[in-house]
Amino acid sequence: MHLIIKDMKINSLKPVLILGIMVVYALPCWSQDLDSLLEKAIKPQTVYTSATFKSTRIVNGHSVEQMKKKQLDFRISHRFGDINSGSYNLYGLDNGLIHFALEYGLTDWLEVGIGRSTYQKTFDGFAKVSILKQSSGVRNMPVHISYLFSTEYISLNTDTLMTNPYSRMSYIHQILIARKFNENLSLQLTPTVIHRNLVPTELDKNDLFALGLGGRYKLSKRIALNVEYYYVYRANEKAISQSIPTPVKYYNPLSIGIDIETGGHVFQIMLTNSQAMREGGFIGKTTETWSNMGIHLGFNISRVFSFSKQ
Amino acid sequence: MNKLLILLVLGFVFAHAGAQNRYFTKDAKIIFNSSTPLEDIIAESNQATTLIDIDKNEVAFSVLTTSFKFRRALMEEHFNENYMESSKFPKAKFTGKIISPIDWKSEKPILVDVKGILTMHGVSNEIVLKAQITPGKSKILASAEFMVTPEAFHISIPSAVRDKIAKEVTIKINAVYAPYQQ
Repeated sequence: MHLIIKDMKINSLKPVLILGIMVVYALPCWSQDLDSLLEKAIKPQTVYTSATFKSTRIVNGHSVEQMKKKQLDFRISHRFGDINSGSYNLYGLDNGLIHFALEYGLTDWLEVGIGRSTYQKTFDGFAKVSILKQSSGVRNMPVHISYLFSTEYISLNTDTLMTNPYSRMSYIHQILIARKFNENLSLQLTPTVIHRNLVPTELDKNDLFALGLGGRYKLSKRIALNVEYYYVYRANEKAISQSIPTPVKYYNPLSIGIDIETGGHVFQIMLTNSQAMREGGFIGKTTETWSNMGIHLGFNISRVFSFSKQ
Repeated sequence: MNKLLILLVLGFVFAHAGAQNRYFTKDAKIIFNSSTPLEDIIAESNQATTLIDIDKNEVAFSVLTTSFKFRRALMEEHFNENYMESSKFPKAKFTGKIISPIDWKSEKPILVDVKGILTMHGVSNEIVLKAQITPGKSKILASAEFMVTPEAFHISIPSAVRDKIAKEVTIKINAVYAPYQQ
């Protein structure tokens, strides 16, 4: 700098100097803009994605959502009979199955729940653990990943084979992988393993593998459309279809629902080919199909109570 | 030539000396209250960042709307999802000027008027609010309380819950400033 100044004529330097003075004096003015100074003072943060789904269920199956700490969810679900059962049964409305459940957030990442269903008089209990949360900012995570473990106990008295209490039990493991793509669209993949201690026939496998696909699209701020499908891998499908007498044939569950949120409640109204409302039932034992109108009208009602004292 | 340079440097130093007169905190408290007899709707954030410039009598606030904590988690979700639309408008901001006279050396609490622009939900509105300021050399205390209406910030409340949410939302602010180090 010094050298250059020496070699140059003062005259030619004047404009440079004036410009320099202007810049130097203007600098503090720029930095004194309190608003931009404030922006600089704020450390970048991690923003966690919330409300990937409106409810802890997409339709029948779990979503990555869970009750936050000290929040209790009381759920009542209902599935009416087959729509194809005719006018005598008022298209299924004459008979329905009910499931009720109490589900509680022990922490922000762990939810436990118990429930009971009319379907085979089943008791169930589950734990859902959030492993990774979708986030942006400092910590960027594209998906939310949860693990679900659930147990079901069939207490129905009719099956003579089920003398051993353990034979009435089944165990469900699911990895829930979801991403909220934008305000409206969220998708979820749900690899599932179900182990049944006892199955009806030799051809039915004790371990059942399935892959769930679920999604929601928000139609408005408080109404969302949900679709859920489980592809169930059945190893002995061909043998089952050829065996005599033919065992019960099972189908993949497809459900379409609408979420309506009204303050403390979420109503879910759906059409589904499965009448059971828990994984062992709707993934493992769905016996109707959409193609022959074996559809059930149903709803879930969720009411949340807070036990948190702030 | 060298003299000119010295002058320049000195000028620069003096111009920046003013920068010392700023106070800052990143954990100011903001309480949001729109309770009605039907429903307690109250939330608190302890993560508001704010600067005060005692030379220019200017003040600026910024808070992430997701930092507000409610007693009911569902209410917090609805606050962010349905009302504030926090993913679209993550911050609420205020920049303003203290318009009544204030003696920063007095160290006594004084009630002042602050006029400025409040921006939230992507909408900016000019507001004037009363604040109590206690000046001090090592710390400045400030508190304020004011009301806003959701409509002014284009936050619509559906008829189903209109009776449960107050027409005017009370916002309380409490800040303890320390000298700002750059």
